[in-house]
Amino acid sequence: MRWAALAALGVLIALPAVVGSYTLTVLIFVFFYAYLGQAWNIVGGYAGQLSVGHAAFVGIGAYTAAMLSLGAGLTPWLGMFVGGALSAALGAVIGYLGFRFGLRGFYFVLLTVAFAEICRIVALNTEAIGGAQGLYITFTGNPRQFQFPDNRAYYYIALGLMLAATAVVWTIERKRFGIYLTAIREDEDACQALGVDTFKYKMLAMVVSSFLTGVGGTFYAFYLFSLQPNTVFGIPLSVEIVIRPIVGGAGTLGGPILGSFILSPLAELSRFYFARGGWSGAHLIVYGGLLILVVLFLPQGAYPYLRRLLARRA
Amino acid sequence: MAILSLGRRAFLRTTVAGAAVAAFPLPLGAQPKSVKIGAVHPVTGALAEIGQACRLGAQMAADAVNAAGGITSLGGARLELVPGDTENKPDVARAEAERVISAGAQLLVGAFHSAQTAAMVPVAQQKRVPFLIDISAADPITANVADSVKKGEQKVQYVYRNFPTSRVFGQRAAQFMAEIFKEAGVQPKRVVLIYTNDLFGQTQARQFQAAVKERNPGFEIVEAIPYPEAATDLATEVSKLKSLRPDVIAPVTRATTAILLLQELAKQRVEALGIVSPGTPGLYEAGQIAQLKELVEYVMDSVPWPNFKNPRTQKVAEEYVKRSGGKTFDTNSGYSYEAILVLADVLERAKSTEPEAVVDALKKTSIKNPLMVAAGPLTFNETGDNPNASPAMIQILGQKPVVVWPRDAAAQKLVFPRPKR
Repeated sequence: MRWAALAALGVLIALPAVVGSYTLTVLIFVFFYAYLGQAWNIVGGYAGQLSVGHAAFVGIGAYTAAMLSLGAGLTPWLGMFVGGALSAALGAVIGYLGFRFGLRGFYFVLLTVAFAEICRIVALNTEAIGGAQGLYITFTGNPRQFQFPDNRAYYYIALGLMLAATAVVWTIERKRFGIYLTAIREDEDACQALGVDTFKYKMLAMVVSSFLTGVGGTFYAFYLFSLQPNTVFGIPLSVEIVIRPIVGGAGTLGGPILGSFILSPLAELSRFYFARGGWSGAHLIVYGGLLILVVLFLPQGAYPYLRRLLARRA
Repeated sequence: MAILSLGRRAFLRTTVAGAAVAAFPLPLGAQPKSVKIGAVHPVTGALAEIGQACRLGAQMAADAVNAAGGITSLGGARLELVPGDTENKPDVARAEAERVISAGAQLLVGAFHSAQTAAMVPVAQQKRVPFLIDISAADPITANVADSVKKGEQKVQYVYRNFPTSRVFGQRAAQFMAEIFKEAGVQPKRVVLIYTNDLFGQTQARQFQAAVKERNPGFEIVEAIPYPEAATDLATEVSKLKSLRPDVIAPVTRATTAILLLQELAKQRVEALGIVSPGTPGLYEAGQIAQLKELVEYVMDSVPWPNFKNPRTQKVAEEYVKRSGGKTFDTNSGYSYEAILVLADVLERAKSTEPEAVVDALKKTSIKNPLMVAAGPLTFNETGDNPNASPAMIQILGQKPVVVWPRDAAAQKLVFPRPKR
């Protein structure tokens, strides 16, 4: 497994030398969504606290970095950490309310969705950050402003983000913290009875997860160059974040990455092959159908299945 | 025996290779040269109907150019559209822009939604692919690029737009209203704005308010009443509006709330000289008129509109009805059609597909008789916008939308104030 991962990494590092800009763009989104999925994985996968409002953290991170850059001229290289910190603060608030008052399962889902919606409506009605029109960022291609004339730079940054988040999760998995989180997911009451401060560890998971997600917001802002409340705070983005680790295997190290490598290319390929010749929309049906198949046959996610397969071979 | 000995690997190898060849057909033999244009629109998702109208408009224009002999200065080169679908998402818009360019697109048009268009702009600038925005109103899209070129951060501007910007929408609405009131010989003082509180409604309302403040057209907006985008009842908003005793009601709606609003205004018997919108959907589409009937008669709306006084527009509109299975040629299909005509004109003059030559020709564009109602010839200014792109004031007369202002484009005389029932 380790050798396979290293070999895959080597291929990914060398890839920009051989493939075109379109393939790079697809891979940039693969990495970026894998990064967001990995960040979600800490609280949603390992700790089993299903957040469907992670778009709020992307939005806050993106708006913060963009506003600091547009208004105060602060480079997004620093702004991204301010955005991450603000997201972590919101994560702490949501976590406190949810965990302090013992909201579990669907109730926690509703809480996170509600917070994301509040953020969206506030952004929609706040003139100072562009209201419904949102923010438009000027493309300059200046690396100091987190912009690059060459797609390859974005490629390596997105790859770096994904690897960094994976390293964080890898570390958590190996620490006592990770074991506590898994225990909380499996049986919170038993875990508490054994003397684990479940509130503390759930809060910690939420804060780390929302910080990482907020940092990702900067990448979103400076790769797509405009921010609208409906797109960065909307439920569809939250679903995009959640669906990759679920397909790949929530609560596993490779899940979000594998899920992203399955879903993004699937969406692109189905669009490429089925969206031509007046069949607009057919690719979405194909994509939806494939998604159903994955969920039907790999209910635990693709990563655990792959591991079992490799273990049997070996 | 050869077939039997075909192993699993060999089978895979040949079928995959075959599929790859089938998927990327290479040009065979001596075909005439062609210029590929990436046309990226929201063909699926919430804006699917609009995106499909845009795509069909662009395709019809390319067919028309090809039928007339293609681009003469390029040896009769044909225009070939490479269609793309944004799925109404900015990230997909960016990936699709990359994809159509990798499929050979030398020019781009698109993308209706301002956020999606903005996501395509850096691709056009990075890859030096001239991008003519057919529809998108947000001012900063082109202004930002012009700004960064001026500051020397970018060398060349590759992004241009033939569509009125949000600012122009507000300015023209205020101007048209003042002119119409003068023409009708009345002077309404109190205008109440009522708008849907979403991206579109907020933008329109804000720009209209700014324009009225700036131009001081003899009337004032006494109040701007927002309502939620998914409203199912507007009784409170309308009774508030009624208490303000408006001379003119200026609505910005969505299709479903337009019906709610007009019905509620009738129910509460709100009297006013007329309903004049600074620009909204929901008040002129065939389906809406069929549902609203008398309620929508005499309602005015400032929207981009095809200029049916231009004989070419009439011909295109008739063909559009046929090819779309009965839909009307409107703003969306119209502007996407016109964008391809502009690019054909540009290529003809550029005599090349070299990006810099195309940009030079784009800047020198001057088309006398555009398909759409405009305030003058189709040109591009220093920000890359067409300063003459403009909405027109239409009015529902005899249950049909008709251009009534500006005077040169008017097909019928306007009726204001609304006759008492």
